[in-house]
Amino acid sequence: MSGDHADAPIAARVRRMEHLLEQRGLVVPGVLDETLAAFLNRASPTNGARIVARAWIDQAFREHLLVDAQVAIAGLEMSMGGGLRAQDLQVVANSEREHNVVVCTLCSCYPLALLGPSPTWYKSEAYRSRVVREPREVLREFGVDLRPEVEIKVWDANSEIRYMVVPNRPPGTGNLTEEQLAALVTRNGLIGTALV
Amino acid sequence: MGRINDVGGVQGFGEIIVEQDEPPFHTDWEAHVFAVNTALLRQRIYHLDEFRDAVERLPPSQYLAASYYERWFLAIRTLLIEKGVFTEGELDDVHDG
Amino acid sequence: MTFTTGEQVRTKNTDPPHHTRLPRYARGALGTIVRPQGAHTLPDDVVRGITSQAEAVYEVRFSARELFGAGDHTVTLSLWESYLEKP
Repeated sequence: MSGDHADAPIAARVRRMEHLLEQRGLVVPGVLDETLAAFLNRASPTNGARIVARAWIDQAFREHLLVDAQVAIAGLEMSMGGGLRAQDLQVVANSEREHNVVVCTLCSCYPLALLGPSPTWYKSEAYRSRVVREPREVLREFGVDLRPEVEIKVWDANSEIRYMVVPNRPPGTGNLTEEQLAALVTRNGLIGTALV
Repeated sequence: MGRINDVGGVQGFGEIIVEQDEPPFHTDWEAHVFAVNTALLRQRIYHLDEFRDAVERLPPSQYLAASYYERWFLAIRTLLIEKGVFTEGELDDVHDG
Repeated sequence: MTFTTGEQVRTKNTDPPHHTRLPRYARGALGTIVRPQGAHTLPDDVVRGITSQAEAVYEVRFSARELFGAGDHTVTLSLWESYLEKP
């Protein structure tokens, strides 16, 4: 008897679902793995780091990026396609007076077609509930201690627009190459929970 | 007063736990849930809004107890049954090994 | 109804039984239109099987004080026209 196996290990339940979908022709055997490999190969924080490094050294690119990110990143051969659904990208830049931080309080919206899956903390109730209400404290826990006069802008990604942050260029990096600059940028920096 | 997913500003969820050097997916099944969802959305078996809706409709206790991709799996399961693609019995007929 | 940049708007104080993208913390709050963000189908309609035209979405900024009674930051959301009214 098969009976009720709703409490079977999740991996087995996922396999079962996939098997049924293959039988029904909704999933082609092997194609999922290929799609995944291609996705992970294409979408990663490295893309964001390259965008930021270019914005640090090229003022015209930076201005274009902040006005029309989709078109600007196409120039770097990147796009927001290939995710769960084509989404708009909006890029916001930190300054000496302003710090931006991104969240999705309702679910987990994130520019995943560009940056890959978001970290688990980003999807956690703790982050989603707290950062809209007490961003200064949350940022401090992430090691970002902002001066009181720095204004914090929280972006709640509640529609089909995805946000990415351009951190401030660290001082003393004037002689670094674009590639070396990109290596400084972290995933948290692109979300706004790190200074770079 | 809203659904369990609507947590912006709610107090009491505690510390934000950060995993260092976290991989894109922790296990193969998580990656496969992600890939299955992408495939079904592309084939318009359901809409992304319907998927979010299905996650939110999980009973609150189940929502809070489940991991992120467990929620995804349960939502996909709900939609496949509601859309008449499979029956509950078909999906739950799991034999280990 | 259309809104223009710089205009004050109030989010509706609703509590729908269905899926919506107006978070609870931002309901019944006074904000400012930052800019229009194109048009998208209203998620509330999509999940109820209601066919509707794409609707204007606006970037709307709120002060933390307005949303939570305290705080010196702002929160910006993308809000469908259906979620907004003249204050």
